[in-house]
Amino acid sequence: MQTNKTGFLSSIRAFVRDPFRMFGMVSVILLLLLTIAPAKDYFSQWRGYQRQYLRFIGSRGDAVTLRRHFTGGIQQIWIPKLDVVDRCQSCHVGLAEASLADVKEQPFRAHPPIPHKLTEFGCTMCHRGQGAATTVEEAHHSEMAGEEPILPARYIESSCGQCHHEPLEGAPKLNRGRVALARYGCVHCHTIALPEGSTMQATDNPPPLSHIADKTTREWIYAWLKDPASYSATATMPNFQLSDADAGDISAFLIANSTPQPGDTIAPPAASGDAASGSDAGASLYGESFCASCHATQNEAGNLVGGDLGPELTNVGGKVKPGWLMAWMRDPQKYDPQTPMPQYRWTDPQLKLIVSYVEGKTDPDFLANVHLQPATKAQIAHGKKLVIEYGCASCHVIAGVPKPDNFAPELSRIGSKPVVQLVFLPGMKHTLPAYLEQKIRQPRSFGPSLHMPRYNFNAGQIEDLTTALLSLTDRSFSLPASLQVPAVRETSYQPAGQAGQLMASLNCQSCHRINGHGGTMAPDLSWEGSSVQRAWLDNFLKNPNTLRPTLIRRMPRFNLTDAERTTLTDYILTVYQTPAFDRDAMPLAGYPPQLIEQGRQLFYSKYDCQSCHMVNPNVDKGYIGPMLTHVGARLNAAWIFHYLKDPQALRPGTIEPNQHMSDDDARALTAFLMAQKSGAGQGANQ
Amino acid sequence: MPSPIATALDRLERTRVWRSIFRSGKGRSTLHNALVIQQSVFLHLFSVKVRKRMLSLGATWYLGTLTLATFLLLVVTGVLLMLYYHPSVPQAYTDVKDLQFVVSSGLFLRNLHRWSAHAMVFLAFAHMFRVFYRGAYRPPREFNWVVGVVLLLITLLLSYTGYLLPWDQLAYWAITVGTNISSAVPLVGDKIRFLLLGGHFVNANALLRFYVLHCVILPLSAVLFLAVHFWRIRKDGGLYVRESEPGAAEAAQTSTTEEREKP
Repeated sequence: MQTNKTGFLSSIRAFVRDPFRMFGMVSVILLLLLTIAPAKDYFSQWRGYQRQYLRFIGSRGDAVTLRRHFTGGIQQIWIPKLDVVDRCQSCHVGLAEASLADVKEQPFRAHPPIPHKLTEFGCTMCHRGQGAATTVEEAHHSEMAGEEPILPARYIESSCGQCHHEPLEGAPKLNRGRVALARYGCVHCHTIALPEGSTMQATDNPPPLSHIADKTTREWIYAWLKDPASYSATATMPNFQLSDADAGDISAFLIANSTPQPGDTIAPPAASGDAASGSDAGASLYGESFCASCHATQNEAGNLVGGDLGPELTNVGGKVKPGWLMAWMRDPQKYDPQTPMPQYRWTDPQLKLIVSYVEGKTDPDFLANVHLQPATKAQIAHGKKLVIEYGCASCHVIAGVPKPDNFAPELSRIGSKPVVQLVFLPGMKHTLPAYLEQKIRQPRSFGPSLHMPRYNFNAGQIEDLTTALLSLTDRSFSLPASLQVPAVRETSYQPAGQAGQLMASLNCQSCHRINGHGGTMAPDLSWEGSSVQRAWLDNFLKNPNTLRPTLIRRMPRFNLTDAERTTLTDYILTVYQTPAFDRDAMPLAGYPPQLIEQGRQLFYSKYDCQSCHMVNPNVDKGYIGPMLTHVGARLNAAWIFHYLKDPQALRPGTIEPNQHMSDDDARALTAFLMAQKSGAGQGANQ
Repeated sequence: MPSPIATALDRLERTRVWRSIFRSGKGRSTLHNALVIQQSVFLHLFSVKVRKRMLSLGATWYLGTLTLATFLLLVVTGVLLMLYYHPSVPQAYTDVKDLQFVVSSGLFLRNLHRWSAHAMVFLAFAHMFRVFYRGAYRPPREFNWVVGVVLLLITLLLSYTGYLLPWDQLAYWAITVGTNISSAVPLVGDKIRFLLLGGHFVNANALLRFYVLHCVILPLSAVLFLAVHFWRIRKDGGLYVRESEPGAAEAAQTSTTEEREKP
């Protein structure tokens, strides 16, 4: 052994001492090492995929075409002005091959159809990841040095939102998420600045709390704070996960801080002798007034019925005091000047009916277990501290507590937050979407001292919100302005003068949009004055009815006086006119019978209008568009003429097809439609 | 019988062109060999005569030579990298990515540069430790030790300036921290920082300055000091041998280490 070892060592020594042999040996080793570099290049991942692709298409029927389209080597989409260098197609070889749409396994699947060309924006603009990379690991998963890992496909709509700030057809998740950000009041606390310079505005209308003692009791506030969802499943108020003591203290402060507002409370109606008939009459008044257009209630089956513009009323009787409700129903703007609720002009007996009906909607169990001791000074002081700490004034107006600025972190660029800057919980996936989802689902799981409340979102809503948040990227700010598609910005239009005051008290714009401001529940009235005739409008305001056979009427009757109706009609007819044409340019009647007959034939044969509209209800079966039985008494002739010529110009987004009618055809049809004045189908069944 | 190659070489060496370049002429005498060294611009930096024992691995571990080798490797790979790299903010990082993903053997080139840089710092330190513990810094070599210290500083600065050039997060923050440290120098600290960065923040100017430092100023100073360093080895009496020191002869008699080394 010993001799062997020394023999080996001495032979090594001899070898080292011979410089020529040593030099030769080292050179061979160096040469071998040097071959590693070209070998690594030759056996690179993308070359492997390209070889695999050629084998794969060889077995297909369209092999010849596919092979002709194939170019070897590194492929890239290069868009200098967008800072895009995407080499994804080096491995995803068949991305642009429509015939590979049936392929299931990546990386050879064809790209699904999208509204943009693949070369228009490249890949990473939407999918994220590192475009310059040519290995899967680097391209899909790298997050060093600010690179973004690939975006899971279920959030892909967020990428559309980087340029498209308007509601976008084909991106429902993104649209729902954005609506939710505004509707659940996220943007009260978190500022979201948009690239065009505005900020996202909340649409949830949180009530002011400065006079809350007039409206409800401390017990109700306590129970509501503990769990808003137990009062109303549709509550937009989140759960702050308060302890019993904290909820008691906040309710004590809010009641003690409340000052009575003169006129907030009217003597409640005395208990009616005949409760049953009173309740029936109240129910029918509730129905006639179309309260359900905005307010939902739960029916016996547990389903919500009604709109979501106002709060759910299922248990409202347990919440509001009858005296307050009375005053509210008479004039809601007295208590809350910002309310979207219109002022119904109910008579006193009607007021009593509706109040006692609404007060009857109550859940006796809700407050059954709430027993609060009278509030002490210390409790009230602690309640105020909590109100400031939890940022209640970010949403609600509370006397003596100013609205905090930037209460929560700004989210304008949250979609580009580097993963290295996030703190993850144990066991969580280390990605930005996973972080956002957990933050929305269980905000306090990141630390018990955090103030963000918990919402009752389902998995779908959380995905929607995450999609909307992921669209708020650095890139959306740095992209050229020419690529930005801004949202239609809400104007601050308010009608002026006496009619303006009237429309403000009726809150017309809660449902109707006028000159870019208002709701979308009812038709846009910006050009209503060009469209309708005075007599019809006056009559409609007196007794509204639906124009479409398949829609439920939602316009309430407001008990307007004759003078008020005249003011409104005058204003609408004078002010809301389109500059496109003169509404009196064509006569309302007196068209020659041949022209009417010609129009009738065009209506029934050439343009097939009866597929959607009805002129004679006995014959026609069109249930989609408005009824035209009285259209000659409703619309102006010039409006009909121009509407037929180009419907979308007068009512953007209408489904009425643009038939590119000649003037003659449009004139004949106008004559025929203007003849429909009494609903008997004049000229229709000749 | 001389081989045909030897005959051809012999004929070549007798041509006029050859003799005009290599003026030492033919010969194998000691003087002749000394002339070969002395009359070449590249070789005259080195000692004309070297003890044969000093060329063995054990004498120096070749640490200085290896440091020089990594430096030469860095110059070659660095020049090749300069063909692909733009020292501008929008392009620097993507150029590095291109080297990594698209340029043939670009990753090899970049890694060779990077590992050589690490090796050079390590070898320079090792070289200095060896010189220090063998006492080779003592007179008359004290000036060459100082030159060596300057060369170490240049090596470190080359390493530091090269760190910014990939223009990634690591680079950015490393340079931010580093220049903040330099601003801690009393009185002129902020001026030094401003001078290095060409401004108050790590930005396009800083990138350009570091690029020029890394590719022009520092390598040229390194070459200058290397020339002095090698020339001084010769002037200070060649590679350090303990026996050549005054009083070392007696020490050698008591020491058995050297004896055991000899066959």
